[in-house]
Amino acid sequence: MKLDKIITTFLALGFLTACSSGADDYREPQSEADLKGLTLACSNGSYYQQKYETREGIQLFLTSNEADAVQAVRQGHADVYVSDEVMLTKSDLKRLRMKKAFVGEEAFDVAFAIKKGNTEFAAQLNDFLASTPLDDIINYWINEGPYVEEPTFTIQEGAEPIRCVCAVNIAPISYIGDGGEWQGLDADILRRFAHSLGRPFEMQFMDIGSSIMAINTGKADVFSGCLFVTEERQKSVDFSTPYYKCHPGYFIVDHSAEARMGLGERIHMNLIKENRFNLIWDGLVETIKITFFAILIGTILGCGVCACRRSRRRWVRTLANLYGDFINGIPTLVLLLILFYVVFANSGMSASLVAIVTFALCFASSAGNIFDTSISSVPKGQTEAGLSLGFTPFKTFMGIVFPQALRKGLPLYTGECVSLLKSTSIVGYIAIADLTRASDLIRSRTFDALIPLLVVTILYFILAWLIRKTLSLALLKNRTANDA
Amino acid sequence: MISIRHLSKTFHNPDGSTLTVLKDVNCDIEKGEVISIIGPSGTGKSTLLRAINMLEPPTAGEIWFNGENIMAHGYPLNKMRQKMGMVFQSFNLFEHKTVLENITYAPMELLKMSERVAKDEAMELLRKVGMAQKADVYPSSLSGGQKQRVAIARSLAMHPDVILFDEPTSALDPTMVGEVLSVIRQLAKSGLTMLIVTHEMRFARDVSTRIFFMNDGIIYEDGTPEQIFEHPVHSATKAFVNRIQKLKYDIDSDNFDFLQIHTEINRFCIKYNITGKEELAYSLLKEMLFTHMRSLRPLTFRLTHTELSGVTALDFMVEGLNESPLKDAARESVRRQVKELIEEPTTRGFRIKLII
Repeated sequence: MKLDKIITTFLALGFLTACSSGADDYREPQSEADLKGLTLACSNGSYYQQKYETREGIQLFLTSNEADAVQAVRQGHADVYVSDEVMLTKSDLKRLRMKKAFVGEEAFDVAFAIKKGNTEFAAQLNDFLASTPLDDIINYWINEGPYVEEPTFTIQEGAEPIRCVCAVNIAPISYIGDGGEWQGLDADILRRFAHSLGRPFEMQFMDIGSSIMAINTGKADVFSGCLFVTEERQKSVDFSTPYYKCHPGYFIVDHSAEARMGLGERIHMNLIKENRFNLIWDGLVETIKITFFAILIGTILGCGVCACRRSRRRWVRTLANLYGDFINGIPTLVLLLILFYVVFANSGMSASLVAIVTFALCFASSAGNIFDTSISSVPKGQTEAGLSLGFTPFKTFMGIVFPQALRKGLPLYTGECVSLLKSTSIVGYIAIADLTRASDLIRSRTFDALIPLLVVTILYFILAWLIRKTLSLALLKNRTANDA
Repeated sequence: MISIRHLSKTFHNPDGSTLTVLKDVNCDIEKGEVISIIGPSGTGKSTLLRAINMLEPPTAGEIWFNGENIMAHGYPLNKMRQKMGMVFQSFNLFEHKTVLENITYAPMELLKMSERVAKDEAMELLRKVGMAQKADVYPSSLSGGQKQRVAIARSLAMHPDVILFDEPTSALDPTMVGEVLSVIRQLAKSGLTMLIVTHEMRFARDVSTRIFFMNDGIIYEDGTPEQIFEHPVHSATKAFVNRIQKLKYDIDSDNFDFLQIHTEINRFCIKYNITGKEELAYSLLKEMLFTHMRSLRPLTFRLTHTELSGVTALDFMVEGLNESPLKDAARESVRRQVKELIEEPTTRGFRIKLII
């Protein structure tokens, strides 16, 4: 266990595994009145944030999702995790050494959110909700009652899927379960809804802000995640008819529970159980795909940028410089969000394609710059010598200038490729399940930061090493005096 | 072989100003001629050479090469350049290729020579310039003189009709000038047509069949070495070919830096290829400064060298003096060591000149 701590701290993951202890005069809260003086963890954008933000004597610890809020309490950053009472199954509570302290008195309607003004779709959804045995389904997921068989529908071939986003990835609401399938109450209802229309079901996990943006830009049809119907929210989205009534739940660490798991058990839980390695594998493929195509397209575009930078025409050079300044001046993540939610919002392009375009645009700028400076670093006399021997300008470039430029530019280019690989880790923001996102999804299911992050760290490291190795092979064929 | 008519070249600077380097150049170059282009710096010698093979496209005029106007629109410059070699001041060897590859690259690619033939020819050329030993090394490990010899071999490998030398020794350390000049001298004897931009006057006089004296953007005077160097028509030519190289030093007190003077004399002698006279110049200077003219401060001394005639002189000037400070014994001692001793009063003071 000590080794664990050392590694965790060393990786600076910010998820120190030390549990708070030794609070002798600690009294478990029994009601909302007892919360005074305590720190509450809740997810950013949730109802509880609004409720407790201005409450005197209460500190808020805001996280980007539910799982992180749970972690915050387990690690002692906060005292109470507040969310909907249905969060965390009994077995999760036991495993996490947590318990429900009390349930709030308020009661809220829980419903699905859809794009404002989409009345036709709202009617379809409401009809479905009215004709489905919702109570039985709820009973199965929340109270571990008997399973409700889904009526069989034929899914039409080539039918548009119902695209859902959820802001909660926690059992039993919606979570990635066995084999990478979305499960849980919300996922189950929406899957049955999609199937009843003869359409396939798709689900993606995003934070609340992105989810609202996704349904308003038409990237998704339904937004779920134990959503309370509040007046505030009704201003920006429409709600279906409520399908459940829910109270707030207040969760705390159960100090009486037994000790934590061993390392082997943790590895099993994080990687083997429910075939979670599949998530990692799919994420790895996604990361490689985005990196490879972004480098490929970016390099081709980069040649164009380089040609523009070296153009005789001044306005072309200015254009290339403006492009470079523009790309340099925007954080890659912001550019990604702009392309996804604004530029290509209604184009029907997949998120992966948008990501490839984004990174290719960024890569083109820096690659163009590298190519330009590498070519400029070859003395002009080399070109003149080639021309004076009778080579055409093209042959002079390919046979004399380029090999020398390659020699100088390749280390920089390699660095840029590795840096691109690392920056692809932000694609989770547009719900692409890449390597980093895979570790997020596992972490939010298992509430264990170390193992998934350690695995993806190693995988990123290997990918970076492979890039360096592959590109350095190009140098072997191009030795110069410096090696001799 | 090459005819140039009314050639001009104007550079347009980014700030909008213009600079006319070549005004109106006319000349004819026949096969087998070795032409040196001399003249003050900044008069367009290198620009003319670079214009002839179109590395620096001229502004106006005509260049005829083997009966074709190479300035015609769409003329295949690369074909023309295969017949017109160029040796650069800064060598420009291909840094990513070995010495041998530097030479075989163009013949194999452009003349479609087989690797074996190209290599054999290259080795032959390398032996000719004394660089066969270094065939497999990369240029970065060669000295300047060695690089230039390889560069000459590289341009010879294309079997050109003419080779243009653009100040081939200007970037070299003085000690390496000789090896490069002797290679060029050897080529001149072989009957190859050559155009050489150079500052080495004696070399120009010795190897050339003709000299172009360029001044102010035109060929100011054109003639055999004898005409240009012995009987120049224009005064500007005369002034240029007879110019004197000087090393001047003012000695105000006894606290001067004799070591520095020594170093500068050494550098001067290497630069003008008179290392044989260095020892004598140094010992005479010491004798004069510390013995015969010991009490005479301040004084000015000069070491001068007239390149063309090869006359080297030590010149001492003491201001405000009107009779020779040398005693008879001293005069005798000095006279024995020099070719000529001149003592003369001038308007400024007294001058002693030792020709060595």
